[in-house]
Amino acid sequence: MKNIKTLVAAAIIGLSLLSFTAINKNNEEPKQKASSSKGYEVGDTAADFKLKNIDGKMVSLSDFKKAKGFIVVFTCNHCPYAKKYEDRIIALDKKYKNAGYPVIAINPNDPNVQPEDGFQQMTTRAKEKGFTFPYLVDEGQKVYPQYGATKTPHVFILQKEGAKNIVKYIGAIDNNYDDPNDVSEHYVQDAMAALLSGKPVANAKTVAIGCTIKVKK
Amino acid sequence: MKKILSFSALIFSMSFCFSQEQIVVNDVPMFKYEVLEKKIQEEKDVLLVLNFWSTTCAPCVKELPDFMEVNNKYKDNPKFKMLLVSLDRPKDKDRVVQFIKNKKLTAEVILLDDIKRMNTWIPRFEKNWDGNIPVTIVYKNSEKVHFNDGEMTKTELENVITKNL
Repeated sequence: MKNIKTLVAAAIIGLSLLSFTAINKNNEEPKQKASSSKGYEVGDTAADFKLKNIDGKMVSLSDFKKAKGFIVVFTCNHCPYAKKYEDRIIALDKKYKNAGYPVIAINPNDPNVQPEDGFQQMTTRAKEKGFTFPYLVDEGQKVYPQYGATKTPHVFILQKEGAKNIVKYIGAIDNNYDDPNDVSEHYVQDAMAALLSGKPVANAKTVAIGCTIKVKK
Repeated sequence: MKKILSFSALIFSMSFCFSQEQIVVNDVPMFKYEVLEKKIQEEKDVLLVLNFWSTTCAPCVKELPDFMEVNNKYKDNPKFKMLLVSLDRPKDKDRVVQFIKNKKLTAEVILLDDIKRMNTWIPRFEKNWDGNIPVTIVYKNSEKVHFNDGEMTKTELENVITKNL
């Protein structure tokens, strides 16, 4: 019986490997347009912005004179995936702010489409959770398309090179939104460890399921 | 040896048998990515509409009634099949079952139980997919013919179907 089980498992693995190859062959598609139309790619220079923080003050990347870079997180109040990461975003800020990479959270959603993501609600949530980082409103929804954020949460790690902020990582925080105790790939922490030791980021782009950005209608 | 192999192949293929008319739902099968991919490969002779959704995703829930209208229109066509891939957590399976009943979902639903490997399977479905949902992918004879990033209207869905069916 045990042998059969092993064989069945082997057959499943074998067949799935075959189908991987098959699907990859079928997926040849014409090349995408220039990256500029779809936001940033790793290596691009990220533009600065001036967005309203939950305390009413305007925040720009250039305000952080001593920063070596930034962990920019497009996130929001309502999204179940984003909610699951709130504590982990706070932990990232605690861990990397002193190393020169503060978290900058930006809510890209239109509050008329998603009332839970309104300014007042953002203030309330930040207070409840004790956010230690700016939580900015993308008023007019100009910044998220420039970066190429498509969902919440969506992370862009930037590193300062002279006056420029270079995109070093785009993607997810880790590989388990649901259970922080069962994470096997710490994408952002691995990228930060590489940046802090002057090494290239091995896994510079990742994807995970998230909530669509709610665009003004 | 040969017998054991064919026996395991039989068990393997049996696990992919589904009734075409899944109306009474008491359970939702949970698939790993490879199993879902194999299922797509096995739908060789149909136009397969694959919709990624979750009960917690408002735009997904919003477009489902339109998808059901389209499914009800085409579901008797043996060349057509709609498969709703729930990305709800395995522990929320009962919620998915209840949702299917409440919303009278007539298309087959499976739960993709593969949270930790999103970075593997999302790009395998579509390299331009960032992970936002809903997403709809249409396969004709197991080959991808359409990738819809985001919500899809009834007209858009029907246009893709009539063009490829």
